[in-house]
Amino acid sequence: MNKLLVALLLTAALTPPAFAHHSAARFDLTIRDHTVVGIVKEFKPANPHTKIVLEIADEKGKRDIEFEGHSLNNYYRGGWREGLVKLGDKITLYAAPTKDGTDGGYALEVVAADGTRF
Amino acid sequence: MLRGTRFVGEFMRKPPTSARILVALLGLSLAGVAAATRPDFTGVWGVYREPGAAAPQRGAPQPALPLKPEAKAKIDAYHALVDKSGDTPGGFCLGTGMPGSMLGSGGYPMEVVQHDKMFVVVYEAHTEVRHIYLGERAKEQDLFPDRNGYSFGRWDGDSLIVETTHLKEAVDQARYPHSDQAKIVEEYRLVTNDDGSKVLIANMTLTDPTFYTQPIKAEKKWQYQPGIRLLPYECTEPAWEAHLEELANKQAAH
Repeated sequence: MNKLLVALLLTAALTPPAFAHHSAARFDLTIRDHTVVGIVKEFKPANPHTKIVLEIADEKGKRDIEFEGHSLNNYYRGGWREGLVKLGDKITLYAAPTKDGTDGGYALEVVAADGTRF
Repeated sequence: MLRGTRFVGEFMRKPPTSARILVALLGLSLAGVAAATRPDFTGVWGVYREPGAAAPQRGAPQPALPLKPEAKAKIDAYHALVDKSGDTPGGFCLGTGMPGSMLGSGGYPMEVVQHDKMFVVVYEAHTEVRHIYLGERAKEQDLFPDRNGYSFGRWDGDSLIVETTHLKEAVDQARYPHSDQAKIVEEYRLVTNDDGSKVLIANMTLTDPTFYTQPIKAEKKWQYQPGIRLLPYECTEPAWEAHLEELANKQAAH
């Protein structure tokens, strides 16, 4: 086994699992009405922040983009309920975009396929 | 003689049994009246907004704090470390700690459970819990510091005075970082608006001679929210699920 492979395996063994930390610093929260429409690939309400993955098709092509959203508790109080957003649904996000213009954003409001806003 | 003197003395100090029972009952009765007339803070409390006032602006500039140079250097070093990433304790599922847990509550509601000898305060965000001891338990000595410290209270008329010590140094407090020598005094009182709605007000004084040149004062208000219940705040569940997935992947690879 070469030294590089040993080093990589050792590093992997010693590296703790990725922790679900969250930061709003990479989002431009002064812009609150950036509209995104896409197909739900993953919708996972959680604390402190929700994970949303949408399949987006725009001038850059079709791809999956991950968004961060409010906490599960805030979405619940805002009207989200289990089963409201399903895989394959077409939903709209009103999101704060990333500061550097890369894919992603912070979902301030969600419009579910049936029109429910939360 | 000595034994007799002591016996006589004890006898003379004690009134007849019937009188002692009467006094005891009277004392209990008075205590009961006092307890019954005290304000009841029990309930769920949320963000308070003055009638007609606009929502507060997030990130609005705050007045500078009267920090000592050594404290400022510590806090600046912390911000130089984390600000670019935007990382926060909450992002890592760590509770805010005092005074941020109290001052920040409302956006996420808090629940107060009031008993004669103890208050339990639960802040929904990160399910932070404070126990405020009254009476004998306020004298506990076997303590160790934590982010919310150790709190004991006493009644001053209709106000509940809460003193918190045994705090950890917390440069990661968003508004009022402090050392482990900090002492926080909160004065809680209940007011009723003209429309009958209840408002809980806390006036806080943070004294920390290690970090500050003078005491810090702040006021916090909550609106009573009947019919609202606190939600669980599971925060580390995604990390646990990710870990399980990682274990499953490793297992599948073997």
